[in-house]
Amino acid sequence: MEKEASQLEKDHVHRVYEKIAPHFRDARYKAWPKVQQFLSDQEPGSLIADIGCGNGKYLHINSQTYKLGCDYCFPLVESARNDGHEVMVCHSLYLPYRNECFDAVLSIAVIHHFSTKERRVRAIQEMARTLRVGGQMMIYVWAMEQKRRKFEKQDVFVPWNPSPPSWTLSNTCSRGIQKSINQKDKRLAMDQHSTKLAGTSKARSSSFVGEKETTHNLFEKSLRWSLFSRSLDSVLDLSNQWHQRELNTFSNCNIQLDELNTGKLFEQIRQGGFMKHISNLSLRCRQNFEDNASEVAVEPGSPMIFHPVPFKSCYSELGQDTKQPPMSPAIIYDCSRVCLPDLLSHQKDVKQQLKIDYHSKQSAFRKLQNRSRTDSSLQDTDNDCSMATRNKQPQRSPNGACLRYYHVFKEGELVELIEHHVPELHVIHSYFDHANWCVIAEKIHVWKI
Amino acid sequence: MKLLTHNMLTSHVRGVRPGGGFPLRIQATEVKVNNVDFNQEFVARMIPKVEWGALLEAAESLGHLSDLPHQLPPEYENNEDFLRKVHHVLLEVEVMEGILKCPDSGREFPITKGIPNMLLSEEEET
Repeated sequence: MEKEASQLEKDHVHRVYEKIAPHFRDARYKAWPKVQQFLSDQEPGSLIADIGCGNGKYLHINSQTYKLGCDYCFPLVESARNDGHEVMVCHSLYLPYRNECFDAVLSIAVIHHFSTKERRVRAIQEMARTLRVGGQMMIYVWAMEQKRRKFEKQDVFVPWNPSPPSWTLSNTCSRGIQKSINQKDKRLAMDQHSTKLAGTSKARSSSFVGEKETTHNLFEKSLRWSLFSRSLDSVLDLSNQWHQRELNTFSNCNIQLDELNTGKLFEQIRQGGFMKHISNLSLRCRQNFEDNASEVAVEPGSPMIFHPVPFKSCYSELGQDTKQPPMSPAIIYDCSRVCLPDLLSHQKDVKQQLKIDYHSKQSAFRKLQNRSRTDSSLQDTDNDCSMATRNKQPQRSPNGACLRYYHVFKEGELVELIEHHVPELHVIHSYFDHANWCVIAEKIHVWKI
Repeated sequence: MKLLTHNMLTSHVRGVRPGGGFPLRIQATEVKVNNVDFNQEFVARMIPKVEWGALLEAAESLGHLSDLPHQLPPEYENNEDFLRKVHHVLLEVEVMEGILKCPDSGREFPITKGIPNMLLSEEEET
């Protein structure tokens, strides 16, 4: 299990961060105020470690303290170094620090990238090891329960789009969008956005600059999807038969597949006993801002997450505007080819469990198939969907986005993790902040008898 | 990598005896000396957190031991002269290129552009 978990993190955390490191300068990655406060509250002369410091956005706070940042990602660490911070490269499960040397430790948006509960616990234990008795640790993790979006599963792949067509201005006008989205008249918000987009020189996609883009076109060109993966702690097995049916759906939808050798691919996978994470992709249709339409999730400081478009609302739009080219229907997207850790021991049990899921997904795809046949020829958009490649690249979703793995935490989960598995930490404070579950914990003596 | 940072670092290779990975021996090929603002209270508070012997050893290996005493002088908090010397060694001397060597296993961790690479290979992880 360890190897698989580690490989998943390599593919869907480390490699992705390496790729997106240059973009971390964007305004969307801001420092959380409460973290800043925690740092400012530390006594002068404190030694503080920021584990998973990224580009070091917290390392400048409170010059009366000495801060050490570390991260697994070389480019991010270099970026922090260029700002004059003391940083190093290491793995947060194997911290190169001696015991109890820090007065405070930060773990901001890090441990939700660990793919098993055991590794998440180990990460906290390792940080606790470096914390002196009486010192405090602050942990932030992504919450499953969020105000304006909902994760359907706890283990998800979230795309990070380097040049999101609709979000090229996210760093400048995302706040405006947020407010607008919260209002009832969301269409107005989108129109405003598209106007801004057309007029800006910041748009990265050349196809948008200077064009009279309507909201409709913008969203037609970008995809919205929600990606699922089963937890590595639970069991997932997909029979080869299901894969074949999914492939058929693919070809029926006339979607161009990159580097396709799927028959061989699946055969290899089946033989290797590998499991697959399957996710649903749906093209973002023209926004139907009724209540059941999914929201476009925009939040400064966090990457994009997309909801699946409810198929009903999506299709209700398809027939309405004949001037626009027809939409492509939902596309199955293969996120990863990862051997889930407890595959071998639980294969039998899983097949039963899977049958249920298979049917619900299959019926959804049936709807798509039917709909797509009645439409006029499907158009390949500029952003073709591509099947996950067989090589070791981070899985690319359409628009060239990279997929990051997250285990989003339920309410109370982080506290429970600490209380049950890390006796040397005592939870002082736990709260919800900007879509994160947060904990402040103190290192205490553990008396071993 | 400043020497205050170095003082926190230990080798964590599998098989190293507890405490055997500290302190890491510095083999520097490029050392930089900066000017950092002196903050007396900061330095005074930092001293108890530092492994003094390791700091001396590191400073010496870089040729910056100067006349730092082997023992901490009593009431050093008010000894500005002493504190300035400590300040210099802790914060103003930086290893830009070099190697950190585990005293127990001999494993070498490179320092590049001031950034130590403390990553372990899979075999070395405990």
